[in-house]
Amino acid sequence: MADGAALAGLRVLDLSNLRGGLCGRMLADMGADVIKIEPPQGDPTRRLGPFAGNQPHPDRSLKFWFYNLNKRSVTLDYAHTRGAELLLQLAESADVVIESFDPGYLDRLGLSWDALHERNPALILCSLAPFGQTGPYRDYLADDTILTALGGMLFVNGFPEEPPLRPLGLQTYHVGSIFGVSAIMGALLARRHAGVGQWIDLSLHEATVASLEHVPGQFFEFGAVERRRGTLHWSGSFCVLPCSDGRYLLNSNLGEFANLVEWMKSEGMAADLDDPQWEDVSYRRKNAAHLFAVLGEWLKHHTSTEVLERAQLLRLAFAVVHSTDDLPNDEQLRARRFFVEVEHPELGRKFLYPGAPYLFSATPWRLYRRPPLLGEHTREVLCQDLGLADGELEVLHAEGVC
Amino acid sequence: MAPPLAGIRVVDFTWVVAGPLATRILADQGAEVIKIERQSAVPRRLGLYAELNRNKRSIAINMNQPAGVALAKRLVALSDMVIDNFSARVMRHWGMDYASLRQLKPDIISLSMSGMGHTGPLSSWVTYGPTLHARTGLTMKMSYDERPTGFGYSFSDMLAGQTAAAAAMIALWHRARTGEGQFIDLSQFEALIQTLGMSVLNLTVNGAAQPPSGWHPQEAPAAPHGVYRCRAEDGDNDRWIAISVRSHGEWRRLVTAMGSPQWASDPHFRTMFSRMNNRELLDRRLGEWTAQQSAYDAMERLQQAGVPAGVVANGRDLCERDPQLKARQFWATVKFPEGGQTRTITLPFRFSATPPAPLHHSPQVGEHKDYVLGTVLGLSQSEREQLVRNQTVWE
Repeated sequence: MADGAALAGLRVLDLSNLRGGLCGRMLADMGADVIKIEPPQGDPTRRLGPFAGNQPHPDRSLKFWFYNLNKRSVTLDYAHTRGAELLLQLAESADVVIESFDPGYLDRLGLSWDALHERNPALILCSLAPFGQTGPYRDYLADDTILTALGGMLFVNGFPEEPPLRPLGLQTYHVGSIFGVSAIMGALLARRHAGVGQWIDLSLHEATVASLEHVPGQFFEFGAVERRRGTLHWSGSFCVLPCSDGRYLLNSNLGEFANLVEWMKSEGMAADLDDPQWEDVSYRRKNAAHLFAVLGEWLKHHTSTEVLERAQLLRLAFAVVHSTDDLPNDEQLRARRFFVEVEHPELGRKFLYPGAPYLFSATPWRLYRRPPLLGEHTREVLCQDLGLADGELEVLHAEGVC
Repeated sequence: MAPPLAGIRVVDFTWVVAGPLATRILADQGAEVIKIERQSAVPRRLGLYAELNRNKRSIAINMNQPAGVALAKRLVALSDMVIDNFSARVMRHWGMDYASLRQLKPDIISLSMSGMGHTGPLSSWVTYGPTLHARTGLTMKMSYDERPTGFGYSFSDMLAGQTAAAAAMIALWHRARTGEGQFIDLSQFEALIQTLGMSVLNLTVNGAAQPPSGWHPQEAPAAPHGVYRCRAEDGDNDRWIAISVRSHGEWRRLVTAMGSPQWASDPHFRTMFSRMNNRELLDRRLGEWTAQQSAYDAMERLQQAGVPAGVVANGRDLCERDPQLKARQFWATVKFPEGGQTRTITLPFRFSATPPAPLHHSPQVGEHKDYVLGTVLGLSQSEREQLVRNQTVWE
C-alpha cells in the first residue's frame, strides 16, 4: 500500500497516548505502517473532546482523529501476561516502538527495553516521557500545561501586568514528537551501520526548553531574564497594532523600513522617524516602543489591507492578524491544496484535515486511511501477521485481552 | 556507535533562526554542515546565534559573482544535501534550484524551507515567525480575551526548524535505501498549522469557531487549572506556579497538601463539573494560598502529594536552578579556540548506544575557509589566494 513511500516497509508499534501522537502520525504520513496498540477500552485520547457532532464516542474524538490519521488500530491488553507476550511477538517483526507512559510502567509489565531488545536486537524504542527516564523530576506528574510552565514556554507570553499566557495547541507534545521523529530516523540510520537498535530517552521538558528561541541565549550572553512584553517581540522587531478597519496588523521594522517612513512622511505622519539614525536596524530595535507608537498613530488612518499590500510589495514582513477560523479559506493554502478531504464511511461524511507540512517530490505525503476505529485492525494483524487462529482470537476477546 | 549522520555533508544557505536550527539539529547528529554566508563581522560566540550555529563550519562566499556561484556548485557536487530558507526565486537566480542541483549531484536532497512555500499567490511573501503567527491565527486566538496576543518569541521558527530536520532525515533514509534524492518544499506556514490541527478539525467537522484560548483546559477537563501567583522572591513579584487538577483524587490530594482549608469543602468545589463552573472563585481561593508560598516549595509539596504542579520557570530558573536539567546534563559547555567558553543547550533526547556528539563552538563568518577550499575542494594555495584576491571568498 505504501509502495514507493519514503518509509515504506517500516513497521512502528505506537503505544503512545496524546503526548506522542504526532510522532507516529508523521511517520505514518510518510508511509510507515504505524500500528496503534490500544487497551481494549481504547487509548484515553478517544475519551477526550471535542467529539464529532458533539456526541461522545471512542470513534468520534477529534483529538484522536487528528493524531491518528493514517495509523491502524489493534486492541491488546498488555497489562495482561498473554497480551504482553503477544506484544513481544509483534515487536519481533517491528522496527520501532513508540511509547509515552510514565517511566517504569512498561518495566512493570515485563516490557522493559531489555526485554524488547532481547526479543529483537534491531528494534528501536522511543520513549517520550514528561521529564525523561532519569533525574529528580522523573516521576513528577505533568500534562502539557505543567510542561509549558517548567519548560519556560509560559513565562514570556502575555502582557507584563497579566498572568503568563498558555499557548494555543498542545505545543510541548508537538515539539517533543517532532524531535522524536528526528531521533527515530537517527537511530534507524545508525542501525544501517551498527546492525542493532537502541533506546531513545526523550524528555518533553527538554524539548520545550529547546523550543524557546531567545530565553537561554539571552541569559547566557547577558545574564538577562526575559519577561513578557505583550505583542512586542523580544527582539524589538515586531508588534501588533490596530488599524482603522478594526483589524489588527503585525508590523515589522526589519528590511527596508525607510520605504514605509517615506509613505508616512508623505502624509505628514512620520514624526521623527525620518531622522537618519532610524536607518540603523539595531537603533530601530532598541527604540521599538517609540517607533511602534508613531506607527500606531498612522495606522489609525489606514485599513489593514491597504497597508499590508503595500508593505509586502516594499519587502516588509507585515501580516494581517487572522483567525484560525480563516485557515480553510486562506488563498495560499487553497492554491497549495493544503487541506485534504478525508472520507469517514462510518459516518457517511467527508471532512477537511490539515495536510502535508512539506511536499516531497519523489515520496509525497499521502492520505492512506482515515483514523482507525477502535480495534479495527486487530484481526488483520493478530491473525494474519501472528498467525492466530480465529478461535484463539475469540478466546482472547472473551478474556478481555483484545 | 558512530553518530547517525556521520559522513553526511550539508551545504547550508540558511539564515536567521528557523533554517539554522534545522541544520544545527543535523550537525548535532553528526552531519558536516558547511554554512555559505555573506561577509559579516558580527561576533557569534555567545547567545542565540551561538546556540543555532555551533557544530557547523563557515565559509563566506560572494554569491553575486559567477565565480562564487561556481564555487558553491563545486561544493554541492561533493555533498549530500542543500538546505535554504529563501523564497523560491533566490536559488533559481543562482541556477541552484533542484533541477540544476541534480545535474551536479544526481542523488542530491534539496530542502527549501521558505515562509509560504514555493508555489501559490503568496510564495514571494517576506515572513518571519511573527508574520506566520499572525497569518495562522495563533496571535489572535492565543489570548486572554479579544486582544490578539500570541507568543513573545518566534515559536514558529523553532517549530519549522525541528520539522525541517525531521523531513531531512526522512529523505536521507529514503536515499540510503533507494539511492534516490529529491526536492522538499517545506512551508513554514503549513508546518505551524500542523500544530493547530485541533482548532481546524473542530471548525471543519463541527463548525465550531475557536474562542480565545486563555486558560481553558485544552487537553482534558481540569479544575483548578491555570497559573497562580506565588510569594515574591528576591524582590521579584513575577513568580507563578501552574497547577492542573484532572481527577477527584488529585483534588483530594491538593486539598490535603494545602492543610485542608475550610473553603475547600465548599460544595461549589465538590465535583470537576462544579469546580469548572465556579472556576473564578476557585482560582481566587487557590491564589490566596499560593500567594503565601514560594513557587519551588509549593511545587515540591504538591508533587510529593501527587498533584501536577510546576514552577513557571524564567530564564534564570532554567539555566541555573532547574535540578532536572542539571541532572540530565541538558546544558553543556562550549569552548572557544581563542579562549573562553559559554553554556549552551543540547538535544532533548539521548541514545542508549550512540554517545552525544561533541560540541564545537559556533564559527565566526568565514572561519573554515581553508578547510573548505583546501581539505574539501582540494584547491591549491595559489587558487585559494586568487579567490580571496578577487573577493570571491572573503577572509
